[in-house]
Amino acid sequence: MVNAIHIISAALGAAFLLGVLKEEQRRTAYAITLAAFAFMTAVSAGWLWAFVMEGAAPVEILTAGGTPPFVINLRMALPEAALTLLANLTGLLSAIYLKEALFAHGRRAMAVLLIAVMALSGIILTRDIFNLFVFFELTAIATGGLILLSENDCSLSAGFKYLIVSQMISVFLLIGIIFAYHATGTLNIDGLATAAHDLLQGNNQAALGLKLAFFLMFIAVVAELKPFPANGWALDIYESAHPAFSAIFSAATASAFLYATDKLLFIGGPDWYPIATGIGIVTFVVSNLLALPQTNDRRQLGYSSIAQTGLVLLVLGQRDILGEATAFIAFGLLLSHAVAKAGLYWLSGLVAERELTAWAALRERPLLVFAFVTFIAMLSGLPPFPGFYAKWELVHLLAGADRLVLIALILLGALVEAGYLFRWFGYIIKREAPAEAAACTTHKLTAVVVAAAAGWALGFLWGDLAGTSFGRGNLLLALPLLFALGFVLFDWLPAWVKNTVAIAGMLAFFGLTYTEYDPLRLIFAIIILIGGPIILLASYHAHGRRIGFYPAAMLMYAGLAMLIRATDSFGFFAAWELLTVGSYFLILRGKNSEPHALSYIVFSLGGAFLILTGFALAAANVVSPAPTFALASLSQLEQPAAPWIFVLLAIGFMTKTAAIGLHIWLPGAHGEAETDVSPMVSGILLKAGLYGLFVLLMTMGKQQLYGIELTHALLWIGALSALLGNLMAIFEEDAKRLLAYSSIGQMGYAVFGLALMNHLGWLMALMFVINHYIYKSMLFLSAGGVAKRTGTRDMYKMGGLITLMPLSFIATLIGIIAVSGVPPLSGFGGRWIFYNAILTTDTRLPLIIIFLAGPIAFLYLFRLIHTIFLGQLKDEHRRIKEAPFWIILPQMIFVALLMVFAVVPGLALRHVDHYLNQFFPEGGLNWTSGTITSNYGYWDPIAIMIIGGVIFMTLFMWLLFVNRKAQKVKQFNIVFSAERPYRPETTHFAWNFFASYRKALGFLVQPFVTRFWGAVTDTLHTGADLARRLYNGNGQTYALHMLAFVSIIYWIYFIGVGI
Amino acid sequence: MDYIAMTTGFILILIGLFGALTNRNILRMIVAFTVADTGVNLVIVGVGYMRGRTAPILDSAVAAADAVARIIDPVPQALVLTAIVIGVGVTALMLAYAYKLYEKKHTLDIAKFTELKW
Repeated sequence: MVNAIHIISAALGAAFLLGVLKEEQRRTAYAITLAAFAFMTAVSAGWLWAFVMEGAAPVEILTAGGTPPFVINLRMALPEAALTLLANLTGLLSAIYLKEALFAHGRRAMAVLLIAVMALSGIILTRDIFNLFVFFELTAIATGGLILLSENDCSLSAGFKYLIVSQMISVFLLIGIIFAYHATGTLNIDGLATAAHDLLQGNNQAALGLKLAFFLMFIAVVAELKPFPANGWALDIYESAHPAFSAIFSAATASAFLYATDKLLFIGGPDWYPIATGIGIVTFVVSNLLALPQTNDRRQLGYSSIAQTGLVLLVLGQRDILGEATAFIAFGLLLSHAVAKAGLYWLSGLVAERELTAWAALRERPLLVFAFVTFIAMLSGLPPFPGFYAKWELVHLLAGADRLVLIALILLGALVEAGYLFRWFGYIIKREAPAEAAACTTHKLTAVVVAAAAGWALGFLWGDLAGTSFGRGNLLLALPLLFALGFVLFDWLPAWVKNTVAIAGMLAFFGLTYTEYDPLRLIFAIIILIGGPIILLASYHAHGRRIGFYPAAMLMYAGLAMLIRATDSFGFFAAWELLTVGSYFLILRGKNSEPHALSYIVFSLGGAFLILTGFALAAANVVSPAPTFALASLSQLEQPAAPWIFVLLAIGFMTKTAAIGLHIWLPGAHGEAETDVSPMVSGILLKAGLYGLFVLLMTMGKQQLYGIELTHALLWIGALSALLGNLMAIFEEDAKRLLAYSSIGQMGYAVFGLALMNHLGWLMALMFVINHYIYKSMLFLSAGGVAKRTGTRDMYKMGGLITLMPLSFIATLIGIIAVSGVPPLSGFGGRWIFYNAILTTDTRLPLIIIFLAGPIAFLYLFRLIHTIFLGQLKDEHRRIKEAPFWIILPQMIFVALLMVFAVVPGLALRHVDHYLNQFFPEGGLNWTSGTITSNYGYWDPIAIMIIGGVIFMTLFMWLLFVNRKAQKVKQFNIVFSAERPYRPETTHFAWNFFASYRKALGFLVQPFVTRFWGAVTDTLHTGADLARRLYNGNGQTYALHMLAFVSIIYWIYFIGVGI
Repeated sequence: MDYIAMTTGFILILIGLFGALTNRNILRMIVAFTVADTGVNLVIVGVGYMRGRTAPILDSAVAAADAVARIIDPVPQALVLTAIVIGVGVTALMLAYAYKLYEKKHTLDIAKFTELKW
C-alpha cells in the first residue's frame, strides 16, 4: 500500500515541478497536474479498498522520525480514506473540467489547484492541531487564488471578502491553539483530547482557560463551515467563482472542514454537542429559507450547500444518541451532498446564463436532465440514494430520544429545500429553452457523468450498508424498481416497444406474485398491475420515443406495487416516496403543469415527512423494539403516543387522497396532465392514500385525542371533501378539471366509508376503490380524447359531438350512470352498501352532508353529456373524427368491466367481505345465490339490470316513436343580427351553467384553502426576501457578522448555559 | 516581561480587529490585520516564555543533558515562525487583491464592492 503521505508529497512535488517548466509548456504542465491528481486519487482509493474489502487496520503515519507528540502524525483510517478520495477525485474531475481555464492561466493556476486539494487532504489526514492551522491557511490562500479563475470579475471582491474573514478565523485559531498548548502541553489532537478530559474534571483556573482556548479553536473551525449568519462571504464565492472551483469548494472543502470540526468535537467532548447541533440546525433551516427567493442558480446552490453542511454538523452534534449510526448517517448525508453539489456546479458551467429559468437549455439533452434529476433526488433525500437511508435512521433515532422539535425543524428545512429544487426542475422541463442548447464538451460531460454514476453507486452501497447494519432492504435490489430504472437505459427505443414491455412486465409481475396477496391487497394489486396496463393501452397512440414518460410511469407503478407488498414501515415509506416522485414526473409532463406539479410534490413530500415522523414515533413507542418495524405492530401502540401517531399518519395519507384542505394540488395536476396520464394519476394513484388509510385503520382502529374520536374527525373530513369537491366540480368549465374535482368528492366518500369503522363502511370504501378506478379512468380517457380532437377542454366550446364521437359518448354516458350511483350499474351497488352502512352508525350531521353531496354530483355529471355531446355542433368541429382507436379501446374495456361488475359484484367483493369479518365480525352481507342480503334489505343486481334495461328500452322506443315526425332544424337557419360579442362564451347557454347555484352556494367554494396556502408560501418568500438583505455585500459587514456569531456562541456557552 | 508582552499582544489584536472593522479603506484594513497578526505572534511568544531560562539553542552554552531544565519551550517559537511566514503570504495575497480591486473600480472603499449580495 502506498504511504498516504504521498498524497501530500505528490501534490507538492508536482507543484514544484510545474514551477520549473517554461510558461509555454502548458500541455506538459496540464499532463503533470492530471497525473498528480490521478495518483492522489489512486492512493486514496487503494486505502479505501484496503479498509473496506480487506479489513485493514488504521495506520498512523509518523513524520520526522519520532513519535507524537514530538512530531506531527497523520492518520489513515476508513473516514480519512473516504474523504481524501472525495477531495482528490473532485480535484481530478475539476481539473479535467477546467481544461480551458487552466490552459489560459498557465502552470501557476495548476499549481494552486494542486495545493488547494493537497491542503484539503492535509486537513483530513492530520492529527496535529497546529498542522491543521497550517493546512487551513494553505486552503485559504489557494482559495483566494482559485476564485480568480472565474470569468466573472465580481469574483475579485468575493475573494477579498473571504480573505478578510479568513484573517479573523486565523487570529481566533492561533490564540486558541497556543493557549490549548499552554494548558495541556501538547498539540497532538488525541493528546489534547486526553488532557482536556482530565483537566475539565476540575473546576479551576486551568479548566476555564482550556475551555476558552477550545472555544476559540472550535469557533474558528466552525466558521469555515459557513454557519448562519457569518456566511455572506461564502455565498459570494459560490455565486461568482468558476463552477469547477465551486464544486471543490462545496464538495471537498466543506467535507474537509466538517471532518476538522469532528476532530475538534473529539477534543471538546459532549459539552459541545448541543452547540454544534444548534449551529447546524439554525444554519440548515435559515439557509434553505433564504434560498427560496433566489433566481441566480449558483447562489441558490450556495445556500443549499451551506444548509447541507449545517445538517451534517447537526448530525455530528447528535452523536450522543446516534451512537454507532453517526458515521452511517453523517457520511450518507455528506456524500449525497458532495456528489450532488459537485455535479450541479459542473452542470451549471454548461448553462450560459445565470437565471434559474435559463437551465431549460438542458432540456434537449436527456442525459443531462437525468443527471440533474439524480442530483436533486440525492439532495432531497429521496430513495434510493444515501440521503434517504440516512434521513430514515436519523429521524428514527431522534424520535427514540424524544427530540421532536429537532425532527420538525429538520423536516421543515428539507421540505423547503425539496421545494426550490423541484421548482428548478420544473423550469428545466417547462420553461422556454434558450436558442442555444447546453454546450457540452466531452471533458466537461465526463465530470457530470462520473458524478451521476457515483450517486447511483453510493445509493447501492448505502442500501447494502443499511441492510447489514439496520436490517433494511436494499432498494436497488427491488425488482419493480429495477424494472422501472431499466426504462432509463432503454429510453431510446420507440414508444410502442416500451409500452409493450411495460404492459408485459406489469402483467408478469402480477402473475408471479398474485398468490401472495390477501383479498384486500389483491384488489389493490389488480387495480395497479392489471388496471395499469389497461390504461397503458391508451399510450399506444403516442408516436415517436416519448422520452421520459416510461421511466416516470414505471417508477410510479413500481412504487405502488412495492407499497402494497411492503410489510414493514421502511419498505412502505420507501415505496411511498418512489411513487410520489414517479407520479410527479408524470404530472409535470402536462402542457401547463408546472405550478401544479410543484404544489403536488410539495404537498406529497410534506405528507411523506409526516408519515416518516409517524413511523419513527411508532417504532420508538412500540413495546418490543425490533430492528424493523412491521406495519402490523402499529396495533401494539398505546396511549399517549398512539393518537398522535394516528394523526400524523392519517394526515400524511390524506395528502394523497386530496382531502379537503390538502386538495389544492389535485385539480391542476389531474386536469393539466396528458390524456393517458390523467387516468393513471386519478384512477390508480389516489388509491395509494386510501390503501394507507386502510392499513392505518386496520391496525390502529379507533383512537381518542383530547376526548375527540379521531375516526369521527375523519368522518367529517370525508363528508366535507365529498360536499365541497362536488360543489367545486359543478362550477367548472373545463371538462378534465371537473373530473378532477369530482375525484376529491369521490375520495371523500371513500374516506367517509372507512371512517364509519364498520363492516359495510369498509366494503363501501372498497367498492369505491374499484368503481372509481373504472369510471374515472374511463371518463378521463373520453374527456381527453374529446379534448384531443376539439383542441379545447372548455365544455362550452364543444357540443353536438354525439354523432361524430359516438363511442366516446357511450363511455361517458355509462361512466356518469356509474358515478351517480343510479341503477343499474355498479355505482348503485356502492350506494346500496353505503346506505346500509350509515344505517348502523349513530352520527347524524356528517351523514346529512354526505347525502347532500349526492345530488350535487348529478349536476356536474349531467353537464358532461349535455354540454359536450348534446346541443349544437360547432362549425369548426364539423370534420372531427372519433377519438383515436387506442384511446377508445380501454374505454370499451372499462364499459365491459362496469357491466360485469354491475351484474356480479360478488366476484370481487364477497372475498373481501369475508376477509373483513376478522375486523368487524358483525354486519357482513349474505352472498348466497345472485341476491345480496343485509340486515336491512336485499340487492339483486341481475334483477336490477333487467328492470333497468327494460325501462330504458321502453323509454328509448317511446322516444323514437314520438320523434319520428320531428323536423330537424339546421344550426344556421336563424340569423344573428347583433355584432360579434366581445366575449363569445357569455352568449353560450352552457357557460356558467349553474350561475344560480353559484349565487346561493358560491360562498362555499371560495378558494379559502388556496388563499391560505398561498399566504403561507408568500409569507415564507417575503420573509426570506427581507432576511437575505442581511448579506448586503459589504466585506466589513460580513466581518461584523462573524464577530456577532462568535459573541452569540460565546454568550450561549459561557453565560447562557452558565459554565 | 512576559505579562507585558502578552498584554501588548492582546491590545494589538484588539486594535487590529477594531481597525479592520472601522476602516473602509482596503489598504488600511490590510494594515490593521497585520497589526492583529503581530499581536497574535507576540501572544504566542509570550505564552512560550519561561522566566529565567535561556534560548532553546543547544550549543556550548547549553548542554543537551540539562537542556530541559534550562531552556524555554521551543515549540511556540517554532509555531510563531510558521505563523509569520503564513501571515506574509496572506498579506501579500490581500495586497495583490487590493491592487486588482483598485484597477477595477479606481477606489479602495470596501463599501463600493457590493455587486454580490443577498
